[in-house]
Amino acid sequence: MELKPIIETQDVHKHFGAFHALKGVSATFYEGQVTAILGPSGSGKSTFLRTLNRLEPHDSGSIRVDGIELDDNLKHLDAIRREVGMVFQSFNLFAHMSVLRNLTLAPMRVRKMGRKEAEEKAMALLERVGLKDQALKYPVQLSGGQQQRVAIARALAMDPKVLLFDEPTSALDPEMVNEVLSVMRELAHTGITMLVVTHEMGFAREVADRIIFFDHGAILEDAAPQAFFSNPEHDRARAFLSQVKHGY
Amino acid sequence: MRWAREHPAWTMFAAMVGLLLFLWGMAIPLSLAPAPIGPAAGLFADGTRVTVMLTLVAGSAGIVIGVLAGLGKLSAFLPLRWFCNFYVWLFRGTPLLLQILFIWLVVPQILPESVEISDFACAAIALALNVGAYNTECVRAGILAVPHGQVEAARALGLSPFQTFMDIVLPQSMRVALPALANNLASLVKDSSLAYAISVVELTMVGYRIQAESYQPIPVFLTVATIYLILTTAFTTLTAALESQLDVGRKR
Repeated sequence: MELKPIIETQDVHKHFGAFHALKGVSATFYEGQVTAILGPSGSGKSTFLRTLNRLEPHDSGSIRVDGIELDDNLKHLDAIRREVGMVFQSFNLFAHMSVLRNLTLAPMRVRKMGRKEAEEKAMALLERVGLKDQALKYPVQLSGGQQQRVAIARALAMDPKVLLFDEPTSALDPEMVNEVLSVMRELAHTGITMLVVTHEMGFAREVADRIIFFDHGAILEDAAPQAFFSNPEHDRARAFLSQVKHGY
Repeated sequence: MRWAREHPAWTMFAAMVGLLLFLWGMAIPLSLAPAPIGPAAGLFADGTRVTVMLTLVAGSAGIVIGVLAGLGKLSAFLPLRWFCNFYVWLFRGTPLLLQILFIWLVVPQILPESVEISDFACAAIALALNVGAYNTECVRAGILAVPHGQVEAARALGLSPFQTFMDIVLPQSMRVALPALANNLASLVKDSSLAYAISVVELTMVGYRIQAESYQPIPVFLTVATIYLILTTAFTTLTAALESQLDVGRKR
């Protein structure tokens, strides 16, 4: 299978004041690939993910998404954000809108889709994540797991080529983690490109095509899951793995 | 008020209809009252209409001003922030009566001779600028209360900054700002009485004139006070209904 690059980053740097959060990150992600991004907290993995749709602007280096350079040009930014969906740790559903309206807003505003078409599409997506009955409820009326599934459906409503997940299960009660992971697992088989920042080692090992391990603002390891989990190259990665294994 | 909370749309509608009926038909029951009220019923009705018009015009303009200046105070552009701070500082720091007199006496001098500006318009401008200054702080607090994640989610979905503001930030900030804005609106109903100083014939002015002719201040001012109470009650019912309408996202 020939791999087509969809995200290319070259020597990306990011500072928060004096803190050097990303120290020259270069990586290429291919269409249809599911990448799990692992690493200790503060290692820059979330920051890296957030630079990919410019929720955090990078200080230097280059990021190209689907051939478009991510820079100060607002046209480029709009074009990229249409292709890149994002799922947040704290869901960030629009609190004042029903579940259905959460899903139809962006397609109607950004893609100029008609209301009827947008609602049909939203209902189909809700059915896919198992929440068809909740369409007219408000986010606060749903459990955390349900909210995160709605958030995934909301991102999918824009037909993105890439989905970014920023610790999608970290804010969930343990019994709700699986319902979200199973939606993500199902998604991974549809051929959409996924970048998942996560602490779910089981999910990473089973679903991801590729593991990227961040440490101190740089990519320390970039390997297939089998190789990474059974035989990590660096001591830091080995230490990290033994730490999280203790957690189980 | 439980019923009003559960049926916000109907309450809003009923308060609106009630206000209109009240304005429309006020002269009829008042004309049945004994002198000095009965014979002056038409004057009371006219004065009430002027008071309500002043409140509605200045109130809606004041909300627009409040939103714009509230945004301006949060702007990254420093001169705009200075300007909005200066505006709020100026209009909160000086008496409303002085502002009304100032606009009434100064604006006609600045404008070219051909442009006529009515006393009513002068009062409405001064009241709008004054209530706008108070609204600015409410709106600013409301906007700051919207979690940043809401903005990030909207931007990540491809909404423009303007769409994000109109669809996400403004409706959610109103939920926080509305009780304070409603307070300002209720004050405005009463503050509009200061327009009597520039000879706008609103409700208080009507009462003053009638008691001056009849030498009976007690029944006249009691009538005026009752009308004000009915007006403020209608306005607060309206805003309370609007509040629960906006509160849907928090209901369980």
